Amino acid sequence: MNFLRNPYGLKKLGCFSIIVSIIHGMNTLLRIVTCLALCPAAFSLLAKKPTVGEKLFALKVKPLLARKCMACHGDDPKKIKGDFDMRTRESMLRGGGTYEEEVLTPGKGEESFLYILSTRMEEDMEMPPKEADKLTKEQTWWIRDWINEGAPWPSDEQVALIQEKYAEGEQVVTSKALSEAWQKRRYETKKLWAYRPLELEKIPSGKNPIDWFVGKELKEAGVEPAPDASPRELYRRLSFGLTGLPPDPKAAAEFEIEFSKANTAVSKHAQKLMATPHYGEHFARHWLDVARYADSAGFANDYARPNAWRYRDYVVRAFNQDKPYNQFVKEQVAGDEMEPVNPERLVATGFLRMGPWEQTGMSVFKETRQMWLDDVTDSVGQTFLAHAMQCAKCHDHKFDPVPTRDYYGMMAVFSTTQFAERKAPFLASESKHGFAGFRSLTQSKIAGYERQKKELAQKIARLKKAETGNAKVGDNGLDPGDEASQSRIFKNLIRHRLELDRVQPVTHSVFTGKTVAMKNVQGRLNMPENRWAKGYLDPDVIYTGGNVYSHGDAVVPAALSAAESLGGMEPRPFPAGRGKRRLALANWIADEKNPLTARVMVNRIWSWHFGRGIAGNPNNFGGTGELPTHPALLDYLADWFMRNGWSVKKLNALILSSETYRRSSRHPDPESLQEKDPKGVLYASFLPRRLVAEEIRDAMLYVSGEFNPKVGGIPARPDVNPEVAFQPRQIMGGTASVYEPDPLPGQRNRRTLYAEKIRGLRDPFMETFNQPVPDDSCELRQTSTVAPQALTLLNAEEVQDRALAFAARLFKEATQEPAAIRRAFQLALGRSATPDEVTACIARWKAATKAEKAKKPVPKTYSKKIKRTVMAEKTGEPYDFWEFLPAYDTYQPDLQRSEVDARTRGLAHVCLVIFNLNEFSYLD
Amino acid sequence: MKTSSQNLVASLTRREALYGIGTGLGSLAFSSMLRAEQRTPQGIHHPAKAKRCIFLMMEGGPSHIDTFDPKPELAKRHLQKFNRSGDRESAMSSGERYFVKSPFDFIKAGKCGADVSAEWKHLKERVDDMCFYRGCQVESVNHPTACYHVNTGNRFGGDPAVGAWVTYGLGSLNDNLPGFVVLPRNSYPQGGASNWSNGFLPADHQGTPLRPEGSPILDLHAPAGMTRQDQRHNLDLLAKLNGKHFKARPHQGELDARMSSYELAYRMQMEVPGILDLKGETEKTKEAYGIGNPKTDSFGRKCLLARRLVEKGVRFVQAYAGNWDSHDYIAKAHGSLIRSVDKPIAALLGDLKERGLLEDTLVVWCGEFGRTPDNGIRGGGTSYGRDHNPKAMTMWFAGGGTKAGHTIGATDEIGAEAVECVHHIRDVHVTWLNLLGLDDNQLTYYHAGRHKQLSQFGGKVIQELIA
Repeated sequence: MNFLRNPYGLKKLGCFSIIVSIIHGMNTLLRIVTCLALCPAAFSLLAKKPTVGEKLFALKVKPLLARKCMACHGDDPKKIKGDFDMRTRESMLRGGGTYEEEVLTPGKGEESFLYILSTRMEEDMEMPPKEADKLTKEQTWWIRDWINEGAPWPSDEQVALIQEKYAEGEQVVTSKALSEAWQKRRYETKKLWAYRPLELEKIPSGKNPIDWFVGKELKEAGVEPAPDASPRELYRRLSFGLTGLPPDPKAAAEFEIEFSKANTAVSKHAQKLMATPHYGEHFARHWLDVARYADSAGFANDYARPNAWRYRDYVVRAFNQDKPYNQFVKEQVAGDEMEPVNPERLVATGFLRMGPWEQTGMSVFKETRQMWLDDVTDSVGQTFLAHAMQCAKCHDHKFDPVPTRDYYGMMAVFSTTQFAERKAPFLASESKHGFAGFRSLTQSKIAGYERQKKELAQKIARLKKAETGNAKVGDNGLDPGDEASQSRIFKNLIRHRLELDRVQPVTHSVFTGKTVAMKNVQGRLNMPENRWAKGYLDPDVIYTGGNVYSHGDAVVPAALSAAESLGGMEPRPFPAGRGKRRLALANWIADEKNPLTARVMVNRIWSWHFGRGIAGNPNNFGGTGELPTHPALLDYLADWFMRNGWSVKKLNALILSSETYRRSSRHPDPESLQEKDPKGVLYASFLPRRLVAEEIRDAMLYVSGEFNPKVGGIPARPDVNPEVAFQPRQIMGGTASVYEPDPLPGQRNRRTLYAEKIRGLRDPFMETFNQPVPDDSCELRQTSTVAPQALTLLNAEEVQDRALAFAARLFKEATQEPAAIRRAFQLALGRSATPDEVTACIARWKAATKAEKAKKPVPKTYSKKIKRTVMAEKTGEPYDFWEFLPAYDTYQPDLQRSEVDARTRGLAHVCLVIFNLNEFSYLD
Repeated sequence: MKTSSQNLVASLTRREALYGIGTGLGSLAFSSMLRAEQRTPQGIHHPAKAKRCIFLMMEGGPSHIDTFDPKPELAKRHLQKFNRSGDRESAMSSGERYFVKSPFDFIKAGKCGADVSAEWKHLKERVDDMCFYRGCQVESVNHPTACYHVNTGNRFGGDPAVGAWVTYGLGSLNDNLPGFVVLPRNSYPQGGASNWSNGFLPADHQGTPLRPEGSPILDLHAPAGMTRQDQRHNLDLLAKLNGKHFKARPHQGELDARMSSYELAYRMQMEVPGILDLKGETEKTKEAYGIGNPKTDSFGRKCLLARRLVEKGVRFVQAYAGNWDSHDYIAKAHGSLIRSVDKPIAALLGDLKERGLLEDTLVVWCGEFGRTPDNGIRGGGTSYGRDHNPKAMTMWFAGGGTKAGHTIGATDEIGAEAVECVHHIRDVHVTWLNLLGLDDNQLTYYHAGRHKQLSQFGGKVIQELIA
């Protein structure tokens, strides 16, 4: 037998290195033993060298069949599809219902239907049936060639030995898998990159590491990179990239002069921008996409999460103060276990409760509790470790070395974690601005409902009569909406009273203790006096098939065993029982030896600057995520990040000081670039991007001069499309109150980061521009181009308002026509207008002014109450009711058309056009 | 100045060539109005029985026991104590409970003798075209999660709706209309617009809701004080300034797509209102659908609009009616709800049949779950309603290759649980796609590390439902 004549690159004799697992009891305590020589006794079992066919079977065909076929043809002997049993050679030879013995004819691969069906040539009989499971051409050849070799079927024992001796790829030590076959599975070496220790390459001194690594690849591909972007493009890139806001024209002008002298101007100005509080806001927005921040709980009631905003501001502070990332991780996972009386630490744990969750009177607590446990396990996995843990919930992970035991081990970390709104005095650094106004507005709303409740009670007392029949059918003299209104008012009172907690010194947090079953959660959850007295301990077990009613093996709190074994982490058992399980996990994640943590964050930060990660899926470093394009760079940066105190600001500075970052988005030779770098992954030019939804709104406010730069505080309520604000929205028990904007322009025109994020009532502007739903973690924003975006930017009231305010601002700052237009371009686009552009804009301005002169705009009016029509559940009939809108008692609209002259209105048309420009929404 | 206007003309000419502006080329692609780039649909996997679908979503959970699944046993047990226990006991099933009989009489309707409550005065004439199914079960007892489950296959929302999957698979039959249209009630369901989301599928598969009140599409119309003339001039300036910017970035295709989307939006303002205008329909038709009668007008309009839309080639229309969540006073609440949809639905089925459309139009009627045979004593009294029941419900199908004039599956004697031909909702989804020529296992989309599908992890076709 000649092993060197090997069509599939099967591993050659002698060059293997297998990692053998030694699993200590039930724990995931792992030792790595690299076994370079197999024990001679094992060798002797292989009496003779295996044949090509046997090897093919053991190494390729058997694992393939197990993965792709056995689910229907053998795993469950009682449910064998098509009467075709693939468990033994004999049953294979016997064949199935359709093709009988033609399924497998040893020696005749091309004629055997096992092969034919696998090639999907036979219509309606494609195997495996799922298109997504289809075999690669090479895989079908394994089957064909194995049959050609006589379809040998070595014993399980022999298979194991052949696999041990000849298999390619790598085995990974993990905690115990559900199946032995999985345990012995081999992984393509390249797909395990994320679990390995960082591999550090030395770089020549004085070189920027980014340019060094990127440059190497460019050179290899024979690609000449694009030159530097123009200073104005670069400054706009910096400004949006670091603060999410348009450049300040003065600073931009300064930059332009300094940059022409030395490109170190980039670093200097980057530092300046990072010193503004808007830096923290912008980076918080990135982080909150991953964490899924929202101010409400979602689902049937969509109750307010009145204290969630403190977590949002915590994140802003963390970035502004450049909190070391390892600390940032630990506080979010286990702040309460670190320092139970430090408000900052308690606020940070709000992260663990960011997902949508509710417990209504209709839910089964065990299931909603499990829903949270699943949610937190997955979200911690995705956020800090770039692992979608959910994939291992019901079975060992299909692609990655994550056994189901790891899933439940990680879940066990949270099984003593409980919800509480904990006392946490406000810090001096937290904004208490607007507390009084909010409280009084909410109390007015409550008072309105209380009044209506009383009136309704009186009406019902007056009209309600005994029902006539023996069955109560609503034959009681009341109007269709009376009882519905009772329940609606009741529910909205609960909702608004809950909102009052927004200004209380409590925080959306957790504690460690026993689980207490809850029936209906519709308000603040207090800390129990003794957290271990009442309740029960959630079982730390594997739920078989992901079913919470089906208990499997016991587990202990643990994390990703593959990261420990491949990454060479010191095994450190997590405490169980009443121990600080989360703190153990937090320390595990923040461990400098953890191969994932620094890579994950560095990759995220890279993606925030460059629009894509070095590894293409910032939330998925597993085998199904995109492999890193520059692995050595990623490792270098991860190490650099840790050596520099896990400082995000320092990492930003390093990235921004590179030539790579400065490159123009327009390559001088795009055709040749396309040819040499078809996937566009070499960073030969900068990837242009559209502003995200929040940036578009913030930029309009910023240039119109209406922007309120205040940092932090309770959620703001900006104007949203009135049709959506007034759109009846069903909640459990009735209809939710109208969305009422804040009364004053300054309150409404704050950064979008501060806009109240209600899961059940999305701002259509944000939705249209691809703001992600806050239910799933968003690794990177998507951009789509659809016509409703154009409708929004052309027609929406909020955009019209901004354009008018922008015009008024310009008019105030520069009355001369060309000067006003030039100023408009400076503010909105960060550049000077060309003479052509000035001419075209002035022409439009003049014509529009003429048209505006003929119009007589009237001031908008706002009603202090609104009549709404909805369906009454009890009677199935529509009914009307009045709702009081206290925000409109003192509502001051933004600048209105009726308040300005025709010339300003004419200029507003030009301003509207500017807001709609591609250049306004796109960054070079 | 002269140069500028020449440039303007040049850029408009390019647009004219592309979109037929001012050349009277007639209707322009509505679906491409909604999306900037055309995508090729996946295509059918096997011969389709249905080409399009109308999904009548009875939000709130209609009671099978009071509509299409009579339970005479309940009359015997009326007001007797009811006990429920077990793992899944929730607050809803706790406390004192009692059986509730149906307040409605039932009749055997049509040649097939289908069971319908006598309240269905119009629909009872159509039962020979309908296929009732009593075997479906869902998992959730809460409205939003159950609605998400029926609409998207995933209880927790965030996944694409059935309509999104169908348009992803089949594309549009008519480029002048969006593939997936939703006709919501004036009040949005619990869980909101995620019920018709495109989820992780490309944005153009999102359900386009045509709102029943106000602007059918948000910001469709220019605000007060902005004339069409103003808008045209603004767009001309926009095109001019954008053109210059694009010229320096010819390789950035999305800039061009974005420029097109503005012209498309401009046209959309003209086209959309025409789609909604029922003026072209005869008085007789409108009367048949119950339009004009305050009881039936709202759903009548939706049904008629649904027919108009599928007739024009919309793949998937979802119309909402409700709220069927009758925890109390079921006689009154369900009575009035049945009256509000009975005539419109009967007219829709008749109309589709008359036009030869029923054959290849799949009509689906269901809620997010059924209701319980019992009720709890709340507030110290009884009020003869029913709570949520994920274990039993009735759904029905018409047209599109389903087994007309049949009732498939059964529930137990009190209607508490499906016992015959029992299938999880995922199998209904698989069957649904199957009728439309799509194979759930092949209609997948790679997202977050795996190939996702409507049924989540695969399911079976319910052959009993297929003619």
